[in-house]
Amino acid sequence: MRKLEKLLIGAAVCALATPVVAQAEDQDMQKKIDELTKKVQKLEEQQKGSDQKKVEDLTRKVDRIEEKSLGKWLTIGGDYRFRVDSLRGDVAAHSDAIGTMNNLVGGFLGPNGVAGTPIGSADGTNSPTALQFIMMGKSGSLFTPSQFNTILNSYMPQAMAAALPGIFTAMGSGNFTVQNTALTPQQQGILNTLGAKVMPTVMNMQIGSIPNMLGLVQAMNPAATATTKVGDVFSGLPAAQQQLAQQMLMQAFLGQAGALNNNVSNLATTQAYKAKNDLLYTNRLGIDMHAKATKDVTVNVRLVAYKTFGSQDDSAVTNNGNTPFFADRVGAFDGTLGHVPTSSLLDVDRAYATWSNIAEQPIWFSVGRRPSTNGAPSNLRLNNERPGNGGTPALLVDYAFDGMTLGWAPDIDALPGAYAKVCYGRGFESGFETPSNSLRDTDMLGVALIPVDTDPLRVWLQWNRGFNIFDFPVMSNTAFGNTGPATSLGDIDWYGAGFMSTMKNIGPGKLNFFADAGLSVTHPNNNVSNNAGFQGLMTGSFFNQEAPTDKTGWAAYAGARYDYEPTKTKFGVEYNHGSKNWITFAPAADDMWTSKLGTRGDVYEAYLIQELNLKPISSHLSKAFFKIGYQYYDFAYTGSNNWVGAPQKISDIKSTDLMLLQPLKSAQDVYATFEVKF
Amino acid sequence: MKKAVSVMVLVAVAALTIFCFGSVASAGDEIKMVGVITKIDIAGKDAKTATATLKDNKTEQLVVITVEDDLTLDKFKDHRIVEGDEIRCKYEVIDGKNVSKLFRKTAGC
Repeated sequence: MRKLEKLLIGAAVCALATPVVAQAEDQDMQKKIDELTKKVQKLEEQQKGSDQKKVEDLTRKVDRIEEKSLGKWLTIGGDYRFRVDSLRGDVAAHSDAIGTMNNLVGGFLGPNGVAGTPIGSADGTNSPTALQFIMMGKSGSLFTPSQFNTILNSYMPQAMAAALPGIFTAMGSGNFTVQNTALTPQQQGILNTLGAKVMPTVMNMQIGSIPNMLGLVQAMNPAATATTKVGDVFSGLPAAQQQLAQQMLMQAFLGQAGALNNNVSNLATTQAYKAKNDLLYTNRLGIDMHAKATKDVTVNVRLVAYKTFGSQDDSAVTNNGNTPFFADRVGAFDGTLGHVPTSSLLDVDRAYATWSNIAEQPIWFSVGRRPSTNGAPSNLRLNNERPGNGGTPALLVDYAFDGMTLGWAPDIDALPGAYAKVCYGRGFESGFETPSNSLRDTDMLGVALIPVDTDPLRVWLQWNRGFNIFDFPVMSNTAFGNTGPATSLGDIDWYGAGFMSTMKNIGPGKLNFFADAGLSVTHPNNNVSNNAGFQGLMTGSFFNQEAPTDKTGWAAYAGARYDYEPTKTKFGVEYNHGSKNWITFAPAADDMWTSKLGTRGDVYEAYLIQELNLKPISSHLSKAFFKIGYQYYDFAYTGSNNWVGAPQKISDIKSTDLMLLQPLKSAQDVYATFEVKF
Repeated sequence: MKKAVSVMVLVAVAALTIFCFGSVASAGDEIKMVGVITKIDIAGKDAKTATATLKDNKTEQLVVITVEDDLTLDKFKDHRIVEGDEIRCKYEVIDGKNVSKLFRKTAGC
């Protein structure tokens, strides 16, 4: 029993002692766990620090790579366009100036002509063609002064003198009167011009030097001798006879068909006809690059290739070497390269560097080949984005200028988006001044004020002045040969004011509309373009010189486009009118016939754009669309987009009127495009 | 002709005057900055507000701007203003938010 008690007591003591031992072991364990936790935490912290460092290193590397990556500083985009045009035009009856000169040159080669007389010793040109006679001298220029002197003082006097015997014979027949030989206004003008420039030489010629003249004169006046001057013969005639002789001389010189010329005419008369090109296909590719070179300095470049299907030249829009229709479509030149179809070569349409945030102010300076084409509001019909701070109003300027801009865009709460800029461009560089080159550079200066530029309202005010406007731009292989400036005709001022607006939520879409007005004022000097037959700045006609006077013209341009957003369909209409003396500087406009905004008359246009509902990939603004459109030109006066020569009312043109360019009464263009902007 | 010139000159003078007065009038507690957009947050086509994070050209600090004006929101929505564009911005701090008063791409062409 006592043994059992001892055993029980021992077991109880053991049972009581066990938790104490276990507790001591737990404490050790906890201690160990704590130590391990601390170690793990320490390891984790070390690992974390290492990872963070790695992440930071990686981030730094990525940032560095991103900073230098192309996408960070260079944006590349562009556009492709396929276009088909169907062109129709009504040409008014007229006489082609170059063709008429060609016929006259044929007369010069006759026995009484001046064949073999060189046109300027330096050029040594004998037996000239019509082009050499009236338009083409040497590559890059038209007549040299020596050539022109030869023409005025030798060719033309001899040609006129050669006609005199026939005139005196005809006068003797009594079948001709002052009335039935009456001249047209233009012929009278030509006679006046020749009277001042050529007739003095004719009047000073001795009748003995003119074949068949001496006998005729001696029959009327036996006292006449071979040394008697033509002027003496004329002055001996009664006033009415003198007038008759002059009128007949004029008609004989131009060879107007009739009894006087045995019904043979030197006039290259073109009867009214319809010019057409049923299908004209063109390709245009533009590559745009925008590079952020340094902080605040960017460079923009646009390269363009624009060509006709099946051709590597501009002949499709310049009338294939025949007399062209409009001055801005005689040939491609500096400011229109890439804007009229020429070849598959990529031309530099734009390349300019811009320094922004000057002195940490909203001021910028930009220089290069400028974005002075496709200005507002032409972005609507072209389906382009708004031109932003770039561009000039399309009504006044559409020409790829080399130039510079200084701009300022102040933060004005009341005038959101306002900016102002001064622009300068060079239209022609005349090179070294030498004893044989007194040409002056052609420059353009402009001031633009855009008091508001927001989606609901953009307003623009513009003044430009063109200095020393040239007669012909530098062009190669035109119907007039290789042309170039031969003289400066004067200055032109332009004034413009307009606005455009976008109104949201008009029905299921947006409504865009605009109105623009322009004024042109010419300031001719005393120069005339010999190569254009003595025409000046908006004065005179072919060989019909006119005293220089300022001419004021005006134009208006309005239109609207509705964007039906559910189907991405856009429908637009436009109208513009130009007065008799309106002249703009927009030869690079995206029109086939001629820049519609330079039209002296009315132009109506309607178009429909259907964008494809496709997800943009290359950029947020990339898109593809079809466009069809129709243009109708109703010309009231000649010379749209031409500052050389005075406008002539289309309805007053006579078939005997000499024209350097073919006058169109009206023109139409039905066009369609498929365009991709990327 | 002289009338037309006079009108143009008057308009030009008026515009310049407004420019000058406008510049003076715009000075206030607003904060101006120029920076590049690093992020645009906008909730759908009907959003009435958006935030744009700009990296300040001077300090290189990121600044979150709240944009509430419709004209700028439209430009966000149709991607006329996107990440990477440099912005001239004017904002006020209202209830802890940098609320845009002017938000336009830096001028220049």
